[in-house]
Amino acid sequence: MLALRLARRAHVLVQVRRLLVAAASAGTGFLLLCAFGYALAHPGASPGAALRLAWCAVPLAATVHLAVAVARADPATRPRPGLSAVGLGPGRLMVFSVLTTALSCALGSAAALLLFLHLRGDLPGTPPRNSLADALAAGLPLPLPATVTLLAVVPLAASVAGALSLRPREDARRDAPTGPGAGPAGGPGAEPGAEPGTPGAGTAAGNRRVGKPRAATGRQGALPADTGTHAVPAPSGLPWGIAVVAAGLTTETYAARDPRGARLDLPGDLVAGTAGVLAGWALTALGLALAGPALTHLCGRLLQAARPGVLRLLSGRGLQEEAGRIGRPLGVVCAVASGAYAIARVYAEAHDAPPAFGPLSVLGALVVAGCALATLLTAAVEARGDRADTTAALLRIGAPATLLRSAALLRAGALVLVLAPLTWLVAELAALPLLR
Amino acid sequence: MVAPPDNDVLWARALHFQHNGSPALTGVSLGVRDGEILAVTGPRGSGKTTLLSCLSGLLPAQSGEIWFNSKPMHTMRPMRRERLRRERFGWIDPVPHLVPELTVWENAALPLMLRGTGRRAARTTAREWLERLDIGDCARKRPRGLPAAARQRVAIARALAAAPTVLFADEPTASLHRADRAHVLRTLTTAARSHGITVVLATTEPETATLADRSVALLDGRCVQTVHLPPAAESEGRAACSLSV
Repeated sequence: MLALRLARRAHVLVQVRRLLVAAASAGTGFLLLCAFGYALAHPGASPGAALRLAWCAVPLAATVHLAVAVARADPATRPRPGLSAVGLGPGRLMVFSVLTTALSCALGSAAALLLFLHLRGDLPGTPPRNSLADALAAGLPLPLPATVTLLAVVPLAASVAGALSLRPREDARRDAPTGPGAGPAGGPGAEPGAEPGTPGAGTAAGNRRVGKPRAATGRQGALPADTGTHAVPAPSGLPWGIAVVAAGLTTETYAARDPRGARLDLPGDLVAGTAGVLAGWALTALGLALAGPALTHLCGRLLQAARPGVLRLLSGRGLQEEAGRIGRPLGVVCAVASGAYAIARVYAEAHDAPPAFGPLSVLGALVVAGCALATLLTAAVEARGDRADTTAALLRIGAPATLLRSAALLRAGALVLVLAPLTWLVAELAALPLLR
Repeated sequence: MVAPPDNDVLWARALHFQHNGSPALTGVSLGVRDGEILAVTGPRGSGKTTLLSCLSGLLPAQSGEIWFNSKPMHTMRPMRRERLRRERFGWIDPVPHLVPELTVWENAALPLMLRGTGRRAARTTAREWLERLDIGDCARKRPRGLPAAARQRVAIARALAAAPTVLFADEPTASLHRADRAHVLRTLTTAARSHGITVVLATTEPETATLADRSVALLDGRCVQTVHLPPAAESEGRAACSLSV
């Protein structure tokens, strides 16, 4: 009950984020139910049904990604000194966060079920005409256990992922001067010494900077030469990302040259590709997502290169610092964008018309794209909350607010400038084998 | 409006401030002379931090007047107060709030760079101050890797490097051990005296106040000269501990 009370009293933006999770969960749940309905209506066509179910993995992954990001950015589930004192430490708050996530996902699943039943005509009232007839299995009885199992997939997956991501970890403890949970940003009312760095305060939520062990930081003289200069190690995903993108493109090209492989229907009325082509495509997207943090770090590095002034220094270093947090969702957004672009190219080439997909494909695409974007925004909000202390300190020494805003804009601009051409390039390369 | 005395760099009259209804300052008046080190003493919760915030323009006084160099601060717009803070004031927190992603010298040079000083000049000045405060050898490290005392010294170097007119130090030694405490305070006061910087130093400890030229005692949001607490009753005829719950 306490979890519910804490959840109910949250800020409007937090509630909006939870609503987004619920909406994504509803979309994914509906897609799962439609795959199930197709299987019910076509008992003989099990490969097709399995394929439809398998395609639901993409929106499912996107929804779980969003749910985890929202849980991490949720201020209610961040350890707070007052609650820690009464025994609601990071562990207990993790349970709260899991409950909140499960609740919002379950609400979404229930909405999906209601919509599905309504479209099938099982609920009182006339069902609207729709083009989903073969995915609804209207008229056939709906087996309860299977429905419940399918609808429980999203809440369960999101809760487990959230719990894994928020579990209290010793190494996440920060001995930094800017404890994220330490008081209201050192406000005027904060008395000195009132910020004792509550054990694990604000670290279970956030802070993936595991970094190097800080064993030798006690004595100044004993510091290795490098530890201090690069406290946050650069993300090492760039070689991996490039390798995976290259492997994906190669696989795709080879598979496209040999069209005798097993054919898999793409969702929507899209050209069928072989399994190899699709695997290559997926590898390309994965590579972009893997390279995200390192690319973000690189952007920051470029921004603050060559005798930076205060604006470039703050924005570049901030980007480097937040590369781990921002980079991953950014990579996912790039992957989704590149996939969407490639699909549109292929479709336009094959049909000589602007893309027009079925309602389920559109729903899936919306869920995936919306989740990727919402995750990126949530990660940005989380990073902002984590840096509130630094921002307050900067404002205290008289940094103009416009400077901080321009730094944020500069950061966003640099990211777009570097990542948009890259995404376009990867998308063009990915679409190339399918266009021939 | 009464113009303040000429030799006061900061002058406050009848300051009132409430944090969400709970009174923090109830009619504080004081003047800070040019180049002096003024200690604001008082127990925790007596309104020292609020007073310093009001004097430095971080918080707008809800009633009362603040004059800086014969200019009224209580009527200034937030943007002007912000500029004043950037160009004339320095601030030291009880715990050093450094920017974690910048190196030590960049942190120290930040106020100078915010004022528009060139990178090279700011760097030279910052490194000089870091050398003076005995932390020149970690100028290229990140603050996260430093011990607390060194971080606090970086914060002091940051405040001093910009050569402010008035330096507000809000319990600068609160989180340090005694040895570091003495060192940090001595460095701060010596640097301020040799560079003619006015310092307003909030502290809870009487021995810190001895380093100052003058001290003002705060109690429950008021300036007090002498504290009149009820005299301790004779212990005879009274139980040593008569607490009943």
